[in-house]
Amino acid sequence: MKTVQRLLPFITLIILVVALSIATPHFLTATNLSSVVRQTAVFNIMALGMTLIIISSGVDLSVGSILAMGGLMGTMAMSKGQPILVGVLVGILTGGLFGLLNGVLITRLNISPFIVTLGTMGIVRGLALVVSNGLPVHEIPKAFSYLGEGTVLGVPFVLLLLVVCTFLVHFLLDHTRLGRYTFAIGSNQDAAIYAGIPVKFHTTAIYAIGGLLTGLAGMIEASRLMTGQPTAGQGYELQAIAAVVIGGGSLRGGEGSVVGTLIGGFIMGLLANGCDLLGINPYWQQVIIGAVIILAVSVDELRKRRAV
Amino acid sequence: MLLELKGVQKRFGGVVALRNGDLSVNAGEVHLVMGENGAGKSTMMKIIAGLYQRDGGEMKWRGESVNFANPVEAAKVGIAMVHQESLLAPHLTVAENIFLGREMSNRFGLVDRGAMFDKARKLIEEHHFPLQAEWKVERLSPAGKQLVEICRAIQHGTSLLIFDEPTSSLSEAETHEVFKIVRTLRDRGTGVIYITHRMDELRSVGDRVTILRDGETVHSESMSTLSTSSMIRYMVGREVAALYKREPVTPGAELLRVHNLTSPPSVKDVSLTVRAGEIVGMAGLVGAGRTELCRAIFGLDQPSAGQIWVGGEQVSIGSPRDAVRHGVALIPEDRQKTGLARELPISWNVTLAGVPSKYGVLQHGIEREITAKAIERLRIRCDSGAQKAGRLSGGNQQKVVISKWVSRGAKVFLFDEPTRGIDIGAKVEVFEVMDELARQGAAILMVSSELPELLQVADRILVMRQGRLAGELPGRTTQEEIMRLATLPSSGTELEL
Repeated sequence: MKTVQRLLPFITLIILVVALSIATPHFLTATNLSSVVRQTAVFNIMALGMTLIIISSGVDLSVGSILAMGGLMGTMAMSKGQPILVGVLVGILTGGLFGLLNGVLITRLNISPFIVTLGTMGIVRGLALVVSNGLPVHEIPKAFSYLGEGTVLGVPFVLLLLVVCTFLVHFLLDHTRLGRYTFAIGSNQDAAIYAGIPVKFHTTAIYAIGGLLTGLAGMIEASRLMTGQPTAGQGYELQAIAAVVIGGGSLRGGEGSVVGTLIGGFIMGLLANGCDLLGINPYWQQVIIGAVIILAVSVDELRKRRAV
Repeated sequence: MLLELKGVQKRFGGVVALRNGDLSVNAGEVHLVMGENGAGKSTMMKIIAGLYQRDGGEMKWRGESVNFANPVEAAKVGIAMVHQESLLAPHLTVAENIFLGREMSNRFGLVDRGAMFDKARKLIEEHHFPLQAEWKVERLSPAGKQLVEICRAIQHGTSLLIFDEPTSSLSEAETHEVFKIVRTLRDRGTGVIYITHRMDELRSVGDRVTILRDGETVHSESMSTLSTSSMIRYMVGREVAALYKREPVTPGAELLRVHNLTSPPSVKDVSLTVRAGEIVGMAGLVGAGRTELCRAIFGLDQPSAGQIWVGGEQVSIGSPRDAVRHGVALIPEDRQKTGLARELPISWNVTLAGVPSKYGVLQHGIEREITAKAIERLRIRCDSGAQKAGRLSGGNQQKVVISKWVSRGAKVFLFDEPTRGIDIGAKVEVFEVMDELARQGAAILMVSSELPELLQVADRILVMRQGRLAGELPGRTTQEEIMRLATLPSSGTELEL
């Protein structure tokens, strides 16, 4: 019984796939599936970073803004004549830099992550608009579209990127000291301090890593749109948080897994895709996704209460 | 007969918490309920107070069969409970907490803060509690919170009052005050059920005692005819050396030296040394600065003056990280809050202070070995190292916290109230662990408010009073001597107590 409940997100995903395959012939097609993958890759990669942050008992509301800033800086570098690879790196590092800023503010000012990132959400978005003068960047080399739209042997390139990132974050979480400390800080920060763990350093590192991943997601988004949009990524923070939470992460910290987050992200992606295919009013989509978040978390709470 | 329980049962899923609970309490008596952790005491009390519903058996209140669906129903007939863990609203004041849910109102139906605060002040004064009605509860120590809970229960007027280990976090003086309250209530005809672990408390307060073991009532007798040794026998079901006594070893090199340490506002000019193989006790009233001294040595607070030597070398400890690096360990007073990561596996807790890794990559194999060794060496009773640490009993949780430092190879151990909330059998095991550490060359400073324990374990006993060291006593001193040092205003001037 316990295993069934732990596997619930995965089972939900399977049911969703089967149900959609039966409901509409357009679902199980290569075009549709690769479009789902491309759509979800952006916030799945963001959600990987968010997993680390949420396990450490934090949250990052600024990822949507950081995504826009990363995409913007990367495309601006390219429009100024930098090679594509340099542009992508600029985008990723910009994300990392703002993640680092979040971490530094949270640990040095001792303010809750919610408040700090609520602030930087506005600051970074504002800076993106200031830097771009509110205008999107269009002069981008055509080859840049490969990042978001290209395929390798028929497999979307972003899927490969997602797999690599997933593996890296999974390794980080389960096989490195940083990952262990992430759980320790999230489970009981005081106990971690008492054990001599450099809590501030590691917390900062976690936000910086989240920023790097968000920067990458920003470049993928820019590549898919073929513009650097200062307004990109609005509301993505909630998508990323939802993916983590549906996958079994707890906002109280100390709990969560990379695989769970990935499943959570795909559940959200499939719900949106299914609604599109079945011709459900997009306004209702928001209602459905909201309800699923509450349902997933309440089932999880129930499981925990019974396990005591 | 006020309350009678017969064959009461309670299950949680597959676990039987109470299989056959009998208890009868008369009006105007203090009834002690004893038993090791997990014996079913708290479950039984929560059934009486309406927090749990029984699965079987009978409960009678004044001769009539009753069934309380919730604590409000129990409160209606006059049953109240002072909980072990604080169930107060931390952001409200002492007075507001005392009247929580039963606020006094004026004739406009609005909350009458003035009257509430007046009444709370009177209550606090009457019992000489070190509280102020205006204080925020979050700033209080565990002891202070306990006192607020007691105020709250007596204020509401009850026929049966349940104390769930009320004195486990109280100082000697506060304990006496609690006893005074208990006696006053008894003399007014209130029935009192009193759960405790502390043997030394019993004689002075209890009329009758009921002993539980493994979810069953095994014995009930008048206090005056039951000897301490048979009481322990009933509790643990076997003969236990009631008095553990450590055999001191010849101390080795000096491992910890603290010189003129001052950490405002609680620690003033304290100097002490602990040598390898020594267990040095630290006694004093609550608020004497003992915990703060440990915090300052461990780098949690920044001392304003003084020096610390570890292993003969002067060190500068600015954070717990520095302390850990120099081989200093702190087993904190509040295990749940600062010692244990409850949601994480035992093994992760064991290696929390020094997880084996190479270039930042964990070495799971070595970690498993360390965990297995720790479980064996400290006799941690668990299914496996993968079990969540929070699921263990108090004694085993404490052993996990200690094992964290043993695995790290710490040399200087600061134990702050190491036996709080631990049952008798496990206490002796914790003592044995401390003894073994000392024999292997560790230096141990042990803060405890339980004087009999200090006398059992410590080689010598330091006493703190109002932030200063009041004196040093040999290990074979008496409780009276310790109390004299802990309470006298200043050495030399004898006062009538």
